[in-house]
Amino acid sequence: IHPSGKLFVLSDGEGKHTTVELSEPLEEEISGVIEVVGKVTNQATIMCVSYVQFREDKSPFDLEIYNEALKIIHEFPEYFPFG
Amino acid sequence: GGYTQSPGGFGSPTGTQAEKKQRTRSQNIVPCTVSQLLAAEQVDETFRIRDVEICQVTVVGIVRHAEKAPTNILYKVDDMTAAPMDVRQWVDTDEAGGENVVVPPGTYVKVAGHLRSFQNKKSLVAFKIMPLENMNEFTAHILEIVNAHMILRNNPMSASRAPQSFSSAGIGDVGGYGGGGSLPVNGLTVHQSQVLNLIKNCHVPEGMSLQELKAQLHNMSMSTIKQAVEFLSSEGHIYSTVDDDHYKSTDAE
Repeated sequence: IHPSGKLFVLSDGEGKHTTVELSEPLEEEISGVIEVVGKVTNQATIMCVSYVQFREDKSPFDLEIYNEALKIIHEFPEYFPFG
Repeated sequence: GGYTQSPGGFGSPTGTQAEKKQRTRSQNIVPCTVSQLLAAEQVDETFRIRDVEICQVTVVGIVRHAEKAPTNILYKVDDMTAAPMDVRQWVDTDEAGGENVVVPPGTYVKVAGHLRSFQNKKSLVAFKIMPLENMNEFTAHILEIVNAHMILRNNPMSASRAPQSFSSAGIGDVGGYGGGGSLPVNGLTVHQSQVLNLIKNCHVPEGMSLQELKAQLHNMSMSTIKQAVEFLSSEGHIYSTVDDDHYKSTDAE
């Protein structure tokens, strides 16, 4: 997380990194798995609209499997329409 | 003893056959995305999403809004595939506790309920709303959606035995999906089934060409289609006609 609190870097299920920009600095400490909803910018960063921290208190979230699942749903748009 | 009596309407063959069919059809609970529910069309009493009959559904999403009323709680649940959907949970005013706990916004929940449509607006009436404790359930749910809709669409009669029992604890099962649609149905993988069905339904004398298959199965790569065709051909389901690019089914109707 950037010292200004307006930027943080995420790594996904394949180990690739991406930078997430916020319109206002973070007001809380975040760690672990975050789901960010936002728009992709021209500089290949994400302009964050909202984020949610995943609960991992009961069991850890398997990010690699989630990544595989995403690939599958993109392969079958007729069964998983995106509005 | 009284064991020779046939119970209810399930024993008698003719008269109650239609009734029995109607009852068994809407016994599925189908995992769906909000976008699928919004796209569902209503025919008389039932909803359909492109031939898959929908009655009871499960949806996983984030609570965006929660409004408590005396007899019910109205949530707006968002699964990112469409705008948040209204989910109504009736509160049993006689029972204390349990139902009266409102799920706070920002929580991921799994909703099980009935699809309803009122004045063209769709909503869900939930009989169970559970906050997700294990986020891997979320991953499992999206895979179940693809799986369930694929099985139900290809083979409506197998709906009664569609495996809805994926437990979130069994993440080992989910790992098997990594290969991309390789769940065997009738001994054929999904890809092979789809290719075979298209070839079966082709009544042109020279059969179905690989180009046609690619055009109709636009989310399958050419190499996947070729692999499926090779397998089907070696198993004897199809045979080549004018050249290696054209195939007909051995049990075409």
